[in-house]
Parts: sequence; structure tokens; C-alpha cells
Amino acid sequence: MINLNQMESGLSAVALMRLLQFGDSTFPIGGFSFSCGLESAIQTKLVRCIDTLREFVLTAVEQSARGDAIAMLCAHQAATLADIDQLLTIDRHVHARKMSEEARTMTTRMGRKFVELNCELIKNDLLAQWRNCIETSATPGCFPVALGITFAVQRLPARTAFVVHQYGVTATILSAALRLLKVSHVDTQKVLYEVNELSEDAFLEASNAHLSDMAGFSPETDILLAYHTKAHVRLFMS
Amino acid sequence: MMPAWQALPSDVHTIGATAPEFASFQDEPQQMRSGAVGKSGYLRLGFEQRNGRTILAENDRRIPYMAQRVIYCDEAMPELAHVFVITTTGCVLQGDRLALDVSVAAGACAHVTTQSATKIHSMDANYAAQTQRFSLAEGAYLEFLPDPLIPHRAARFISDTQVSVAHSATFLMADIIQPGRMHHRDDEWFGATLLSIATSAYRPDESLLFTEKLVIKPGQYALRRAGVMGSFDVFGNVMLCTPPDKAESIYEKVGNSIDLVNGLAFGVSRMPNGAGLIFKVAGRETEAVKTKVREFAGIVRKEVTGRDLRPKFFWR
Repeated sequence: MINLNQMESGLSAVALMRLLQFGDSTFPIGGFSFSCGLESAIQTKLVRCIDTLREFVLTAVEQSARGDAIAMLCAHQAATLADIDQLLTIDRHVHARKMSEEARTMTTRMGRKFVELNCELIKNDLLAQWRNCIETSATPGCFPVALGITFAVQRLPARTAFVVHQYGVTATILSAALRLLKVSHVDTQKVLYEVNELSEDAFLEASNAHLSDMAGFSPETDILLAYHTKAHVRLFMS
Repeated sequence: MMPAWQALPSDVHTIGATAPEFASFQDEPQQMRSGAVGKSGYLRLGFEQRNGRTILAENDRRIPYMAQRVIYCDEAMPELAHVFVITTTGCVLQGDRLALDVSVAAGACAHVTTQSATKIHSMDANYAAQTQRFSLAEGAYLEFLPDPLIPHRAARFISDTQVSVAHSATFLMADIIQPGRMHHRDDEWFGATLLSIATSAYRPDESLLFTEKLVIKPGQYALRRAGVMGSFDVFGNVMLCTPPDKAESIYEKVGNSIDLVNGLAFGVSRMPNGAGLIFKVAGRETEAVKTKVREFAGIVRKEVTGRDLRPKFFWR
């Protein structure tokens, strides 16, 4: 349930607008071209109905909260302190944990696009410096780090960055599902509503974790991403 | 130069105390205290090339960990040192600490395995911890293929593996994890309380190649879910560090498949930083997963050494 006290103590109208803009699935960083393994899951019948889709989304959101989201929160903190060395460390660790090629492609492509676009919107030294690090290949430029930095430099709180990060995972998969599976908009909205119900606990857990606590366990998804790389018919990039 | 972690004494006594997921399992067993004599195993194996074959030049041990004598049983690869490691207690109990430290010198080759599955017993206090350190010099070749891990219900186990691998070396490691004692009783199925299995690999200059930390906590994170284990029961995780040209030819030869009817799925991916490949298998039966892992190991052996894997022992 939504806690009204939290809402009232909250953000300015501008900050909330920013949240909607950066969290919008049409924010042009290429999220629409990835399915996070869903395309293969549907081809191989691992996902075949709304129930299995819900499970697949829950898994992705949970894995994200236990992994990337921790890095994103660490990056938010490091960017608040303008600690570029720590940001480089965090980025290296996110990249080293992406055991699937397609996951690496997705995170670095979206990370780079996100920073490039935001440099056009926001004039900030740290953001420009990070863009330079990516362009000179000094760092891989993973998406969670890009998101953490962007929100920190706008003084948007860590909780809002977490929300945008997690919403992005769900929205990416569900928008792919609409194109791949026989499900209705009502069904996918129900899943979205239900999955988001769990986000406060996930945030508290992730915000108490250290970078080295990033962990996960999703063998089916990992195999699906590997399967997709060699698949003959591909609509999506993952 | 040796990486910094190798100069350190094993941290098997501290990893469980500092990992946040084990915070609520710090109580001491009512039996022997954790890490007591007999519960703190250490095994150091140092392989070196001598007169055209690999010998076990160093063998330092503390019970319950030990290694049998080296055998040269592989006709296709007679120089390969083949070693069975054993824990004399036969299973892993609460409060057990096991540290394995293997180094393979330049050009040496070895195959290390266990004599049986690693059974992690049920626990009502503390946890079991294991550290594994591998160091491979240029041109070294190591296959580390232990039998499956069988976590009994209410088992708590932390494992930390760190690998230092030179550019021209090949390191193959496989973990096969069963959901419990199979066909034993219902609450045994994914009944372990907590398994935390971390692996990191570095170059000898300490640059990070990859890190994977698997935390399996069925009480908190559902396993019978699409994307996690779904309808599968047994998980095989195979990591291969090898030079990029070899990795590419192996990658081309390994297929990917997801077959729900026969209950077997597997896929190979290129790891980050040119480290090599990762091969994951999910199956319903241990035997099918073992067979797939062995098939992958056979391709690796052929591509890296030009030799065939010996036929399977009929009793293994």
C-alpha cells in the first residue's frame, strides 16, 4: 500500500516530472529493442501465458533489485560525493558480473545513450566527465551507474532512482510481451501493478547492501540469453 | 608476482562472519565449536612439470581434507596428473571450514576431482564454509570437476572461489548443484536454508576478469519460478578461462538447447573481459546434467590439448 506520509514529505512538482520523464519507457535509450530473454522464453515455451509471464517478470525484477539496483544506489552515493574513482570501480564491477554477452550489450548501450542524452538536457561537470570516460573507453558505462549519476547530479533522491531503475526492467519486458505473446494491455497492466507492490521492501534491502553483496540466481534466464545469442529468428536484441 | 590474496592466510574462518546473508547464523554448534581441530580442513596442492609429466610437487594437508596419490590413468594424456581430493568425515557439517589451495606451474596439467558427491548436512547452528584458491601460470591446464553438491534440507553453506589465471592458461571448473537428496522426501526439494557460492577470476596483475555470486535462499527467493529453476531441478555451472582463440572455437562447437519435454536446457556465453566461456545447464536428473558437463569438458580438452577425454569410468 502507498504510505501517505511518505508522499506528503515528498518531492517538488518539478522533481516528480523529472521522475516521469526519465522513467518513461519512451525515453529514447533503446530499451524497446531488448526483451531480456523473453523472446527466447516464448519461443521455447518457458513463458506461454499470463501466469508464466508474471513469474518471468518477478524473477527479472528480483534479480535486478539484488544486483544492478545495488550498484545503482552505490553510484548515486558516489556521484553525490563526486567520487569519480569509486564510480569507475562500481562500473567495472557491474560489467564483470554480466556473464551474458547480451546483458553486457544491453547495459552498455543503454548506459551510453542515457548519458549522451542527459548531457544534452543537464549541464553538469560530473556527467560530462562520465561521458568522456565512456567515450575514451576508460570505463564500460553500464546503465545502473549512468542512472545513479544522472539522478544524483539533479539532487533527486536514491529512492526515486531505484523506482525508475526497477520500473524500467518491468516496462521493458512487458512492452516486449505485448509484441510477442497473446496477452492484453489489461493483463500486462495488472502484472505491472502487482509487481510494483513489492518495491518498497526491495528498496530497503538494496539500500542496506554493499557493492560486494550484489548477487543473484536465475539459471533459466541465463540459459535463455545464451540461447538467444545463437537463435535463428530474432526480433529483439536480447 | 603472486596476487595479494595468495600471500594471505586462508580467510575461510572469516568469510561467513562478514557475509551479510549469514548474519543470523553466527551461533556456535552444541557439538564441537566451528573451525575446531578436525573441523578445519586445509589442502594445498602444487603441480609442476617434471621430466615430461606433471607431478604433485607440494601436498600440504590438515584433516579432514586430503588428497590421494597422483595417478596417471589417462592413456590419451599420460602426462596429466589425476588427483582425487577427499574429506575424511564423508560429509560437510555445521561449523566445518574447508580451504583448498591449488597452484599449477607453467606448462603443467592436472585433473582434480572428488571421490563422491559433497553432501552438506542439515544444520541447526552456524554454517559450513569453503574457500578455494586456484593459481595458474602461463600455459598451465587444470580441470577441476568435483562431483555434485548435495545440500540437505536446512543446510547453510558459503563458498568463495578465487582464481588467478595467466593469459595462456586454461582453467575449467564445474559446479553441479542438486536440489537436495533427490527422491528422498518432499521438504528436501530445494530445502536448503542458504547457499552462497561466489567465484571471481583475475589476471596475475590482479585485474578483475569476472565475478559471479549465486545466492540461493529458497525461503526468500522462490526457485520454482520461470526464469529461476522453473520445472528444472539440477543446475550445472561451468566456467572456462582460456585464451580467446580457443574460447571462440569451443564456443562454435557448443550448442544451445531448451527442451522442456526431456527436461534439459543448456547454453554457452562469452564471459566479460575476454576471460573465456560460461556454460550453464539445467536438468531434471543429475545424470543428464553430468553428461552435458562432461560433453563440454570433452570439447575443451580436445580444443585446448588436442587430446580426447578418456571414456567414462563405468562406476562414476
